[in-house]
Amino acid sequence: MLEIEHLYKKYRNSERFSVEDLNLVLQPGEIFGFLGQNGAGKSTTIKCLTGIYPFNSGTIKICGHDIQKDPINAKLNMGYVPDNHSVYEKLTGREYVNFLADVYRVNKRDRNERFDKYVHQFKLAHAVDSQIKSYSHGMKQKISIIGALIHNPKLWVLDEPMMGLDHQSMIEILKRMHDHCLDGNTVFFSSHNLDLVSKVCDRVTIIKDGVQQATIDLHVKGNKETLENTFVKITATEQDMINATTDDIFGMGR
Amino acid sequence: MSNQIGTLLRLEFKNKYGTYNVKNTKSWLKSAMYLVLIAGAITGIYFVAEIFFEMFDRAGMVYEALVILFTAVFIFLTFTGVSSTSKALYFKGDNEILMRFPVKSQDVFVSKTLFLIISQLILTVSILSPFLVAYGRVTEANIGYYWRIPAAIIFSVFIPFLLSNLLAIPGMQFTNRIRNKFALIIVILSIVMIGFFGAYMAVFDKMVTFLKNTEFSVFSPEVVDILKDVCLYLIPTKYFADILVMNNIYLAYPALIGLFGFSLIGTILVIVKLYQKTLLGNIEVEGSAFKKVTKNRERPVYISLIHKEFLEIFRSVNYSFQYFVLASAMPLMVYFCNSITLQLGKNEIGEQITLGITLLVMLIFSTIITSFSATSVSREGNNFYHTKIIPVPVEKQLFVKFSMYFLVSFIANLLCVAVILFTKQMSVSMAFSIFGMVQAIAVAMTLFSMKTDIKRPYFNLSGEGEIVNNNINTSSSIGFGLAVALVEGITGMILGYMVGADLALYVCAGIAAFLFIVAILTYTHKLKKQYNNIGN
Repeated sequence: MLEIEHLYKKYRNSERFSVEDLNLVLQPGEIFGFLGQNGAGKSTTIKCLTGIYPFNSGTIKICGHDIQKDPINAKLNMGYVPDNHSVYEKLTGREYVNFLADVYRVNKRDRNERFDKYVHQFKLAHAVDSQIKSYSHGMKQKISIIGALIHNPKLWVLDEPMMGLDHQSMIEILKRMHDHCLDGNTVFFSSHNLDLVSKVCDRVTIIKDGVQQATIDLHVKGNKETLENTFVKITATEQDMINATTDDIFGMGR
Repeated sequence: MSNQIGTLLRLEFKNKYGTYNVKNTKSWLKSAMYLVLIAGAITGIYFVAEIFFEMFDRAGMVYEALVILFTAVFIFLTFTGVSSTSKALYFKGDNEILMRFPVKSQDVFVSKTLFLIISQLILTVSILSPFLVAYGRVTEANIGYYWRIPAAIIFSVFIPFLLSNLLAIPGMQFTNRIRNKFALIIVILSIVMIGFFGAYMAVFDKMVTFLKNTEFSVFSPEVVDILKDVCLYLIPTKYFADILVMNNIYLAYPALIGLFGFSLIGTILVIVKLYQKTLLGNIEVEGSAFKKVTKNRERPVYISLIHKEFLEIFRSVNYSFQYFVLASAMPLMVYFCNSITLQLGKNEIGEQITLGITLLVMLIFSTIITSFSATSVSREGNNFYHTKIIPVPVEKQLFVKFSMYFLVSFIANLLCVAVILFTKQMSVSMAFSIFGMVQAIAVAMTLFSMKTDIKRPYFNLSGEGEIVNNNINTSSSIGFGLAVALVEGITGMILGYMVGADLALYVCAGIAAFLFIVAILTYTHKLKKQYNNIGN
C-alpha cells in the first residue's frame, strides 16, 4: 500500500537531514502509527509522501505508483488530513467536498452516498451548507476528513489528527479509521498520544532526529504495555538521562 | 494622557511603521526617497490647483471653486473616515487580542482615535494646503488669508472625523447587513468607481479646454448660475471657505464651533455607551457566515477548479475589487483619454499620438488588472497544500488561474476597442492592432507576475485569510507594468508624431511580441521544479 525506501530529505537552508534513510512498508488493512517528539521528522515524512515537499533521494510508492514519477495515480489513491485544519473557508462544507470529489473524479452516485454517510457519521448535517469560516475547530477537522475520504482512498494519511479535538470527536474519527481499514484500506497517522496509538494501531514506527529508531508490532504480546517505556527510552536525550539520574539520586536521598 | 493610551498609541505606530529604524541607513534612504516623492506630489498638486482656480476665476467663480473644494474634501474625509474608523476601531484583528488584556475599552478607543486623527491630519495638510496656497496666489490674497489656513484645515479634519465616528456604528451595521451580498457590493463598487473616474475625467476635460485658451471661460452662463446657486446652500461646507475669505464670519465660526461641539459630545457618548458593546458584537459578526443550500454537483476538473477560484474571489470584496471592479472602469477611461487627446490637438498632433496615448492608458489599466495575478500562489495561504496533494498536474492548476486573469483582461480590452470603434476615435485596423498588442502584453504581464509569485510567495494573510496589504510581488508587477506602458506609450507617441502611425504601430507591435515570447519562455522555464520547491 505504501512503500518508502531509503528516504532522505534536507530542507534548502538546513545543514542536516530532517529525514535520513527512512524505510517503511505498510500492508492493506492496517493502522500504522508514526511516533516521535516535536521536530523528529514526522510531518516532514508525511509531507514528502503526500507530494507537498520534494525529497533528496529514495522512493515513495503508493499502491505501486511512484509519487515522483507517477504523481497523479499515486495521489488518486491517497487521502490526506493536515495538522492545521486548513480548508477553503469561503466555501460551504458541501462546496468544499464537491470540489475535492471533482478533482479526485468521484462519480455522482458514489459522492452522494459517501457524502451522506460521512456527514451523518460526523454529525455535520446541520452545517454542510454553511460557509466553513463559521465552523469550530473540530468541525473544520471533520470536513477536512470528509474531503480526504470522499474518493475512498486506499491510503489515508493523517498528521496529528486528534490535536485540539474533544473526546466525542476523537471517538468518531477513531471509529472511521477502524472502519476504513476493515474495507482493506490502510491508515497512516502521526501522533504524540502514546495511549491512543497503543490502543488503535497494529504497528508503529518511532523516529528521532529524522532517523527511524524502531518499528514495533503491537500484536506481539507485551509490546502494547511497554510502548511508553520504549518510546521514552528511544527518544530521551542525554540531558534527559542526566536529569533522570539526578532525580533518582534526589529521590533516593529523600 | 494615561500610560496605557501612550503604550497603545505607540503600538499602533509600530504596527504601521514598524519597519523603519532611525539607526538604519537603509531606512533613512527609504524615508528620504518617500519625502522626495511626497514633495514632488505636493508640487504637482499645487500646479493642478492653480489651473483649477484660474479656470473658475475666469468665470468669476473663484469663491465657488473654494466651496466646491471644501465640499469634496468634507465628503471624502467623512466617507473614508467612516471606513477607516470602522476598520481600525471595530474590525481590526487586534481588538480581539486587546480585549483579553486588562486595558480599558475607552483607552483603546482614544489611542486608536488619536492615531487616526494624526494620520488624517498629515494627509489633509498634504493635499489641502497646496490648493489653499494656490487659491491665495490666484486671488492675490493678503497675509491674513495665509494665517487663517491652519484654522480651516483643523476644522476640516476634526469635524468630518468626529462625524465619521458617529456614523461608523450605523455604517457598520449596514455593512454587516450587506456583507454577504457580494454581487450587490461589486455592482455598487463598480458604479462608484465608474462615477469617480467619470467625474475626474469631466473636470480634466474642462481643464484641458481651459489650457487651450485661457482667455475665455469654459463654463456656460447657465452653468455659472447653477453653480453659484448651489454653493449658497452647501452648508456647512461653505463655512470652511467663509472663515478663510472672511465672509459671514459671525455665522461661519459659531456654526463650525457648534458642529464641532455637537460631534465631539456625540463621539464621547459613543465611547461611553456603545463602544465596548459594539466591539463585542462585532467580533461575533466577523466570524459569522452565510448559508447556501445546494445539491452535490459533479463538474469536470477544469470547471471545478475555475469555479472554486471564482468563489474565492467573488466572496471577498477586497479580491473582487482588485480583480473585477477596476477592469470595469477601463473602457470609460480609454474613451475619455482618447477624446481629450483628439480635442487637444485636432489640427496639431492629436491624431498622430492617439496610438501612443491609447496604448499608454490601456496598458496602465491592464497592469493594474493583471497585477492581481502576482498573488495567485500567495493567496492560497494555509490552503496551499491542496495544490500539491490533489491529483491534478501543477501546470493545469496554474493554467486555470491564468485563464481567470486572461478572461477579465480580454473582456476589458475588447470593451475598450468596442468603445473606440463605436465613438469613431480610430480606424478598425488600428483599433484591432492595439487590441492585439495590449492583449499580448497583458498575457506577458500575467505570466511574469505569476512566475514572480511562484518563485517567492508570501503566505502572510490576515483577517479572514486574505492578503490585505500589497506584497512586494504586487508592487514589482505594477512597477514593471507601468514601465512597459510608458515605453510602449511614449514610443507610440514619438514615432507616431515623427514618422507616422504605421511605423509606430510596427515598432510597438514588435515590443509587444518580444515581451510575449520572453514571458512564455520565462514562465515555462523550470516551472514545475520551482513550484514543487515552494515552502521547501
